This record gives sequence, C-alpha cells and structure tokens, in this order.
Amino acid sequence: MAAVTAREAEDWLIGKIAHRLGVADDEVSREVYFDELDLDSTEALILAGEMENWLGFELSTTTLWYHPTVKDLAAYIAEESSQRAAAA
Amino acid sequence: MRPPRELTPPVVRPFRQAGPGGRTVYVVHPGALAAQVYRGLADALPEGDGLTVLDLSGVAEYAQAALNGGRAATTVQDLADGLAAHLEPEQGPYTLAGWSFGGVLAHAMTRSLPAGRLPGSLVLLDSIAPVDAYKQPDDALEPALLLGWFAMYLGAKRDRAVGVDPAALAGRGTDEGLPLVLDAAVAAGALAADTPLPGLRKLYDTYVDGLLRNNRLTAPYRPGPAPLPLVLVKAERGLLPEDASLGWESLAARGLTVRPCPGDHYTMLARPDALAVLAPLLHAA
Repeated sequence: MAAVTAREAEDWLIGKIAHRLGVADDEVSREVYFDELDLDSTEALILAGEMENWLGFELSTTTLWYHPTVKDLAAYIAEESSQRAAAA
Repeated sequence: MRPPRELTPPVVRPFRQAGPGGRTVYVVHPGALAAQVYRGLADALPEGDGLTVLDLSGVAEYAQAALNGGRAATTVQDLADGLAAHLEPEQGPYTLAGWSFGGVLAHAMTRSLPAGRLPGSLVLLDSIAPVDAYKQPDDALEPALLLGWFAMYLGAKRDRAVGVDPAALAGRGTDEGLPLVLDAAVAAGALAADTPLPGLRKLYDTYVDGLLRNNRLTAPYRPGPAPLPLVLVKAERGLLPEDASLGWESLAARGLTVRPCPGDHYTMLARPDALAVLAPLLHAA
C-alpha cells in the first residue's frame, strides 16, 4: 500500500471530525485537541478502528496522548506509514 | 502549549461524603462503564451515607491491558492489596461492594484486611465467583455469548436497549454476528446510522480483551473462604441469568444471601428500580 501523506491524514481526520460535529470541513482547525471534541471512549474507539482500517495498520493506545492534535497525529501517521511502505 | 491530558484517572473517586458518623459505601469498579454511572446510586443512598468508587480504570497495568491484547502484568491479590490501601482509616461504618469482576477483587480485599477492619458483609453485584467450576479457558467463550453481552453493554453505554435475538446469534462467529449487533444498535439509536463495521469491530475487540484480561487474571487465582457473610445481587438479565448463585456458595463460609434485582448486568447500576433494591442493601451491609 502506498504511504499516506500528512495532508491526506489531516484531510481524513478533519472530514471525520467535521461530520461528527455537523460542520463544514474548513471549520475544523488542524490545531484542535482531540480531547476538546467531547468524543466519549466509545466514539474514540470506533474512530480509531475506522482509521486503522483505512491505514491498514494498528495504532498504539498511547498514540493520541503523544500526538493530541489533528496536525500532530497526521504527521505521525505519515511517518509511520512511510516507514511501513518502505519496509514492505 | 498546554500539558497533555491525564493518561489514567484517579483510583479513588468520592461521589458523596458521608455525614458525621455516617456510613461510607465503597464500590470496586472494574471499568467498562465510566465511573460516572454511580452518580445515581450515590443519590439513592439514605441521607448521611457516602459513596466512594475504587476505579480500576485508574490502575494503569490493569486498564491498559484491555487496549493491549488483554494481558495484565499483575495478579488478583496484588490488585486487591493496592485497592485495600485506599480504604480510609476508620471514620465510621463502611460497606464493601464490587460490581462484576470488582466483586472478585472486593472478596480478595477482605482476605487482606485485619479482622477488626472487616465490614459487616460483602455485597457482590452480579459477580461470577473465581472458582474452578466457573473458570473458562479463553476459547470456551462462544462468540454468540460475547456478542450478546456486547449488545447489552452498548445499550447501557447509550441508554438504549439494543435488542439482538439470541437465536439469531447462536452458532455464528464474530464476523457474521457483529453486523447483526450493528444493525440492532443503529435501529435502537445507540449508534449513528453510518457507524462503520471496522470501527465497531475495534470497540468489540477492546471489550472482549477486557473480559479476557479478567479471565486470565482469574485463571491462576486460588481464592479462600470469605471471612464475612456474602450478599449476592443478581441482575434479572445478568451474565448468567439461569445460574442461582454464580458459584459463590463454595466461598461463603459465613453464609450467602442472594437477592434479585431488575435490569441487566450493566443497567442494574443505573436504573431507578434497581437502585431502589441496591441502596437499602448497601446501607444495611
């Protein structure tokens, strides 16, 4: 699978968050902290499962703690994805 | 930059302070539902009684295990000893209770408390005894049973009953059964209509890993007889609704009382008709 870029990961995350909040994509900031979104643990796990399915690999449980914004998480995903694509 | 959020919440969660000389009810909570579920129980207790939840979500080596494949690097007795250290020194009477796997831990706590500090009895809320006849190897947990429990859990999380016909799940594997749970949860309004199956699968796998974690902690554990009377509260639609005592009689050297309670394994903690049963029992224990 081709590596996911940071831009693609950002767009994916912002699309999901905007959908849940019922707002347009451009109303969601890349700097937003996930814990400001009022996602409960059920929603967070469902979103994580959907994202892992999209990426094709699992994310560790502390990922959101170390990368708590859309921008940080997307950068991490891009790096992880490119390492996996290079190793494949 | 602001500091990152807390990775684990506190273990000791006081929901209501006891009045002068009043009773404090301690409930051992193994997670699955947020500790906030006890708000209603705290309010239902008689005036002057307090409620403190000992929340295993705050014990990292236990809570993280549900997210990391269901293997916790600890033991039942170590967890129980850690919880017992959180019981306040005597400031009046207290009740000890535990919900689900929390009952197993509460029972283990009574074994490490000095006789002078034991409460009058131990209240077990739909807990299955950690005895050989009720221990199951991991692969003996049928997907149909787990999917049924998962539907119950989803319903409690969202305060909507998720009705899945057990006959429809019978004999199905996880891959075939989970879409039925998804359909029922969407129909009940417990999940958004566009909830993707891989997202629900992650939630289900985490739920099952939490159960497996408890199963694996229980497997090597050898409990002793309880040094105090046991009161088992069985939910009408509990984990094993057909079973009379959930295995506790062999540990009940000082007696066992079984009381029925409305609701299922999860909703028994919040339904007003269930709280009307639980509150006086906890006050009297």
